[in-house]
Amino acid sequence: MEYLFVTFDDDREVVVDDAVQGRTNEVLELERGTHTVTLTSPPSDFRPKDEVTIALDGTTAITPREVCYEKVAS
Amino acid sequence: MRKWHPSSYCALLAVIVVLVNGCAHYPLNQPLDTSGQAIPYEFDQLTAPADADETFVVLAFSGGGTRAAALSYGVLKALRDNRLPDGSGSLLDDVDIISTVSGGSFTGAYYALFGESIFDNFTEKFLKRNIEKELFLKLFNPYNWVRLASPCFNRIDLAAELYDETIFESKTFGTLVRKAKRPFLIMNATNLFNGARFEFTGVQFYYIGSDILTYPIARAVAASSAFPYLLSPITLANYYETAGCTVKKKEALALEDYWRNKRRYSAAYNKTLYADQDEHPYVHVMDGGLADNIGLRAIYDLYVRGDIRERINSGRITRFLVIVVNAKTEKSEWCDQKESPPGLMKVGYKTSTVSMDNYSFETVEMFKEAAGERMKAQQYLTACQKKLDEHSADGFTLPRIAGGDMKLYVVDLSFNNLSDETEKDFFNNLPTSFALRESEVERLIEVGGRLLCEHPEFTRFIAEYE
Repeated sequence: MEYLFVTFDDDREVVVDDAVQGRTNEVLELERGTHTVTLTSPPSDFRPKDEVTIALDGTTAITPREVCYEKVAS
Repeated sequence: MRKWHPSSYCALLAVIVVLVNGCAHYPLNQPLDTSGQAIPYEFDQLTAPADADETFVVLAFSGGGTRAAALSYGVLKALRDNRLPDGSGSLLDDVDIISTVSGGSFTGAYYALFGESIFDNFTEKFLKRNIEKELFLKLFNPYNWVRLASPCFNRIDLAAELYDETIFESKTFGTLVRKAKRPFLIMNATNLFNGARFEFTGVQFYYIGSDILTYPIARAVAASSAFPYLLSPITLANYYETAGCTVKKKEALALEDYWRNKRRYSAAYNKTLYADQDEHPYVHVMDGGLADNIGLRAIYDLYVRGDIRERINSGRITRFLVIVVNAKTEKSEWCDQKESPPGLMKVGYKTSTVSMDNYSFETVEMFKEAAGERMKAQQYLTACQKKLDEHSADGFTLPRIAGGDMKLYVVDLSFNNLSDETEKDFFNNLPTSFALRESEVERLIEVGGRLLCEHPEFTRFIAEYE
């Protein structure tokens, strides 16, 4: 398995490949391969607004792939 | 009174034969209702109490005719009789998913449909019946000879009718949806196009553009247990394009990712194969044992990329118990004691079973390794945090893994777990058939429960249950 760490100031649901897969600021365990990532909205108070496409490969629980979201006014 | 000429009788008979033959057609699966009104048969659609995922129990019932059905029935009984240490009920109430193949599909489907009344009537309704004889008698009915002459009606359709009338009471998947209660049933068959697993679920039926709600449970059981040569495949019509279905993002991403993860690609490919309706207007499926004889591959898929993965990452599962009921037998072998090689029959039998048995073994080990990998990740993070705390003064905290310290148990039940050699020999030499003696059925039910209760991983699960 591979590991993804999505950071955001708030506790928010993380959406991977159109399905809710856990929350921000936790290490998520996912299958190796290409995935799309975003946060649940509303509120759309985060950036980047568009889905992020990432390739998970070669990560560990200690060194997960990080996707950072910045808080903005919604 | 005018007498009929013998040729008139022949002509009349020919007309009747043509009419009956023409009418003989298997019940066709229906196109998907794309109005969005129907609730699909998917795990997420089944209601459950808020804490239902906390103890997540999955059962996988293997193939093996009545032997497999009785063994898995024994496990269900033991789960019912096992009260949870906290007094909250029986473990059977906590079963969330049952994945079944062939003989195991009879038990799994019956329990999913009728719940605990399985313990009142399933032994008489199925386990102790001579299904083979009943099917054989159906074949001797002249009415069925005419029907079987139709290219659209086969031996498997006769079997499905028998199961529908005498076991499953004409229930459909719609009954399971209206019941809206776990366990979620995944019956597995094998598609004959490329030998991949074909499951009778809303997700798979979406990819043939078909409505699973109107599909009879008995036909899915018949497909799952359609033993090659003895029974013919079940045919489904593909409506993917006409129903306006499209490939969903999860599968679309996997299909573009061949080189990065071939297992993920392959799962998506097999699921979406029928998106090309012109190339695949029909789907022919038969015995699920050809693709996976223990039903664990469906669970593996849900664990790595499906509903189970979502629940683990969302922290809803505290303890995850997987029970694999494998009715595989290892017949007594003497061939190594003779200089002359085994005959054609023996070689034929070995050729048809060896690969399946090896694959089943590896499937269980693969699942155990996946579970072990998760446990290692948890232990690794805990150990790293401990080292940081010991050697660093800045109080840095590593992010926790989603799902926290979930506990995972894989209980693999098979006759080889028995310590008594005589008893092991007895079970290992039971045939794969739908006609066992009553005494054999009783012993299988008893040993199913005992195998579960004596399994070290199961006793660990009970001991650690808080």
